[in-house]
Amino acid sequence: MSLSESSVFAYESLVHSANVLLSLDDQRKKDVLCDVTVLVEGQRFRAHRSVLAACSSYFHSKLVGQADAQLHISLPEEVTVKGFEPLIQFAYTATLYLSKDNVDEVCKCVEFLGVRDIEESCFQFLRFKFLDSTADQQECPRKKCYSSHCQKPDINFSLLDQRDLEVDEVEELLKNKNAQMPQCKLSRCQGNPEVSPPLQDSPSRTSETMCLEKDAALSLPSLCPKYRKFQKAFGTDRVRPVESDVEDVHTSSVLTVETSENKSLGAVQDCADLQVMLKCEESSSAMEHEETKTVDPASQCPSERTEETSPPCKSSADPPGLYPLSLFHTYDQYGDLSFVGVQNTTALTEKPLSGVDAQEEKAFGESQDLHLKSEPVPREDGSLASDRSSVEREVAEHLAKGFWSDICSMDSPCQVQLSPTVTKDGSEQTYPQKRSECPWLGIRISESPEPGQRTFTTLSSVSCPFISTLSAEGCSSSLEIGNDDYASEPPQEPCPYTCVISLGEDSETDTEGDSESCSAREQECEVKLPFNAQRIISLSRNDFQSLLKMHKLTPEQLDCIHDIRRRSKNRIAAQRCRKRKLDCIQNLESEIEKLQNEKENLLKERDHILSTLGETKQNLTGLCQQVCKEAALSQEQIQVLAKYSASDCPLSFLISEKRKSTPDGELALPSILSLPEGPSAGLPARKQSHCYPSASGSSETGCPPGQEAGPTPSAAPREPAGPVELGRPSGGISDFCQQMTDKCTTDE
Amino acid sequence: MERVRGRAASRGSSSADPRGTFVLSNLAEVVERVLAFLPAKALLRVASVCRLWRECARRVLRTQRQVTWISAGLAGAGHLEEHCLLRVGAQEIENVHILPSTVLYMADSETFINLEECRGHKRARKRMTMETASAIEKLFPKQCDILGLVTPGIVVTPMGSTSNRPQEIELGESGFALLFPQMEGIKIQPFHFSNYPKDMPLELHQFTEVGLLENPDLRVVLVFGYNCCRTGASNYLERVVSLFSDMNVILAGGQVDNLVSLTSGSKPMHIDATGVVGLTFSGQRIQSATVLLTEDVNDEKSVEAAMQRLKAANIPEQNTIGFMFACVGRGFQYYRAKGNVEADAFRKLFPNVPLFGFFGNGEIGCDRIVTENFTLKRCSEVEDVDLFHSYTTVMALIHLGASK
Repeated sequence: MSLSESSVFAYESLVHSANVLLSLDDQRKKDVLCDVTVLVEGQRFRAHRSVLAACSSYFHSKLVGQADAQLHISLPEEVTVKGFEPLIQFAYTATLYLSKDNVDEVCKCVEFLGVRDIEESCFQFLRFKFLDSTADQQECPRKKCYSSHCQKPDINFSLLDQRDLEVDEVEELLKNKNAQMPQCKLSRCQGNPEVSPPLQDSPSRTSETMCLEKDAALSLPSLCPKYRKFQKAFGTDRVRPVESDVEDVHTSSVLTVETSENKSLGAVQDCADLQVMLKCEESSSAMEHEETKTVDPASQCPSERTEETSPPCKSSADPPGLYPLSLFHTYDQYGDLSFVGVQNTTALTEKPLSGVDAQEEKAFGESQDLHLKSEPVPREDGSLASDRSSVEREVAEHLAKGFWSDICSMDSPCQVQLSPTVTKDGSEQTYPQKRSECPWLGIRISESPEPGQRTFTTLSSVSCPFISTLSAEGCSSSLEIGNDDYASEPPQEPCPYTCVISLGEDSETDTEGDSESCSAREQECEVKLPFNAQRIISLSRNDFQSLLKMHKLTPEQLDCIHDIRRRSKNRIAAQRCRKRKLDCIQNLESEIEKLQNEKENLLKERDHILSTLGETKQNLTGLCQQVCKEAALSQEQIQVLAKYSASDCPLSFLISEKRKSTPDGELALPSILSLPEGPSAGLPARKQSHCYPSASGSSETGCPPGQEAGPTPSAAPREPAGPVELGRPSGGISDFCQQMTDKCTTDE
Repeated sequence: MERVRGRAASRGSSSADPRGTFVLSNLAEVVERVLAFLPAKALLRVASVCRLWRECARRVLRTQRQVTWISAGLAGAGHLEEHCLLRVGAQEIENVHILPSTVLYMADSETFINLEECRGHKRARKRMTMETASAIEKLFPKQCDILGLVTPGIVVTPMGSTSNRPQEIELGESGFALLFPQMEGIKIQPFHFSNYPKDMPLELHQFTEVGLLENPDLRVVLVFGYNCCRTGASNYLERVVSLFSDMNVILAGGQVDNLVSLTSGSKPMHIDATGVVGLTFSGQRIQSATVLLTEDVNDEKSVEAAMQRLKAANIPEQNTIGFMFACVGRGFQYYRAKGNVEADAFRKLFPNVPLFGFFGNGEIGCDRIVTENFTLKRCSEVEDVDLFHSYTTVMALIHLGASK
């Protein structure tokens, strides 16, 4: 008994640390018990000394020993608001929000302030990421860094759900986008009087853009990877230039297109489809670019805020811009912030808008032109001989197929209606998702086995009134504008949810319909089938399978259908293969032509060089003969000269000339030729410079000796000096020249 | 004593020397030292010699905690009768020093399933698959959880050293099996959710059972959707993944052609069934990071930059495995006829981390870091947006705790 009395039990709460931090954050937000004010770049942050000192060694050293009731600490200019704000939030929530534009400053501040529990590697990781994300599609500028010691993401969500009042409004905004658009524009006008005229367009355009983009995003991932592999293999390089052409041409037709703004969504989709088909990654990169643009303002807004708020919500502005929930989040966020940054935001939002417009215009133009192009193109690919480039052909082909398959496949019209509805669906779906997320987080915090939804709701309801009042105080009268303005932005983002959904449904779409005539057997079989062969061929794999399931078919029929399909696919593949081969042949042919031209040129050049060489030879011989004649040298003298002059002197030919009859002189010529550039450059240049550009002469004649070295050995037995000359380096030649000239001058 | 001596005598040379017999039957330290050189299967056989040896064998087995792998590349291919992974596996399992408790194997679908042979007869084809798969399953201990997948292409590090050059084998007979032993503080559980019969509701308790939910130690989930060509498969995959994607865990994986073995699942596999399988890694000590190589990453330079990013996550390289899940559209053609680019870039920056993976039909993953002390991930309302990709490569590093 005594044993049990003396034993000690320890009760350990796993949620205490997290909850303490949570309530401290609450206090900070309400400015309760805050005993220090931190001044950063003129901005004031209220906080608790103990928290700051516990989190940062810098503050620890500054704060310990200070007795003032109200302490003001102004940080040196190394610390910026941009870098400090996430950190003070981290101190209170254990969550650090990093984006592309604040990661460097936050990192600096972390170093300066000596903040604990933040690991350097996460900055490194993000830096690398943002470094190459200039071209990166994953434009994700926001990362959060939880510290798992005291994870409390709940706070984010408690903030999210505060303003129930606004939900309706935002939802309404989403649903009646068209109606709301003018309002947004108005607000934008207020923000910035210099709204460009195109922006004043009817609101329906914006919605169209939205659809278009959505669709582009939708069909992008739906492309079968294998197909894309093919495209990658031979398509991209060639498609690229065409793309730009197309765009150039079509800016002109944009105006007309613009007028018909209420163009059917289907058309928009078609063109988006085509666009995506044609320039798989071009379009994606363009889209990404756009996305980054649209995202940028969102990411910048927080940085412009002057009041410390909870950035958690700002993430919502990113991909699911279309959902009321997320809108609502952004709304919240903006509710919290004071309205300094709004003007800037408006200015920023415009940029993406105009960018989107441009994109849309391009898309329209492209679709029109491609349409035109597609018509003259015969469906069968027999027109290889046509002078159209292979690229054009390909483009046109894709187009023809695109249109054709669209017409043919049943589901494409559905998609048109689908896109708006799906948006709503998506928005509805986020609700459960949100909820499923929260319980987990709740559990995570409370560590309790029961579903934490209750915990979560209590949390949010508790914090709700306070923060909403706070934000009501915080925001100025221009809150409305900000909301409208901000809401106008999200629709441009492609709806990610639809995209994801489509991934499931159309991931195997390889609608590469081909209208080649079927074989007799196929047609014969086709008669018995409940649907035509075109459909069999054109449907995507999934649709095809569901089609088969829909109809009760006999095994023969099934076999036949599979045969038809397979054959058509093979046919397409074979066509491609043929085309590829032809392209290859074409390339090779052009290369052959080029090489032949080059060869001709080279031959001509060679002839020319040879002729100049001949002239040089003649001149030289004449010169030498003249010299000998003028000097009237006897045979012995010449021999003596040959003996005492440099051994690589061409006197040998003089010897031969004197000694032998004329035919030998010709024979001896090569031996002169075999001399490197010395004489041919030196002598003629001096005597006949009008005829020989000395530099080129010397360099060019350097070559022939090698070529004509053949004859020399034949002359060798007669002239022992010959072979000796050959091996000499050119240094001796210039000496010889010098000697020759000296001799000539002295003799004369 | 006599009995022991008799046994020792039957072992050959030591029979002549009674001292040797004494040492081998009495000195646990010596025996343990000797046994430490034996592979696991031999140890298990030897364990039945005597009590001392059994104890020693058990202790030795307990110290073997390294993840090992068996890989069969193109070099071992070419035999018609059986898949190279099966053949190599049968040989190499004798040399494995660990007692596997979880096995993840992947093989290329083309040769593993034998498509041509039984065209149009799905059942026959399925049976074929099962034959090879069950033969592989038989290689491993009974209580071992085996997860087998077939994919269009395989990424594999040849056996032997961890620093062998990994190979991307986009086509051709190949495969690997990753053998995870029991590791202290780390729990690896397979999971399987099937979409057959259709429209069965997902029950949360199933997720909890396999450690996907309500598991604070969960760090990494490798998730694979199979039979993804069927209607609704991707949808199902997304539905399943969305239930745990918002947690602070590393998610990596992709869509594979088929699931060929799963020993832990009691549910019978159906040919038409689609579903999601995977492994969960839970444990405080696990550190992990993933990066996504997007479509823009299409030359050596950008691949290296992406690997730099992974490197910057600062995951220890000891006792770490790398995973690479790439799209069938990447690889040789994508890098302008340069093969093995991604694997080589990985090797360059992680000289001692073995790399495994596949070329699949879709990838799951994003840029994330999860370690003991912090997690870094993108904040997003709808995680799926971030997670499902095509035409990308997901590179993941999983560090399974520092070996003591």
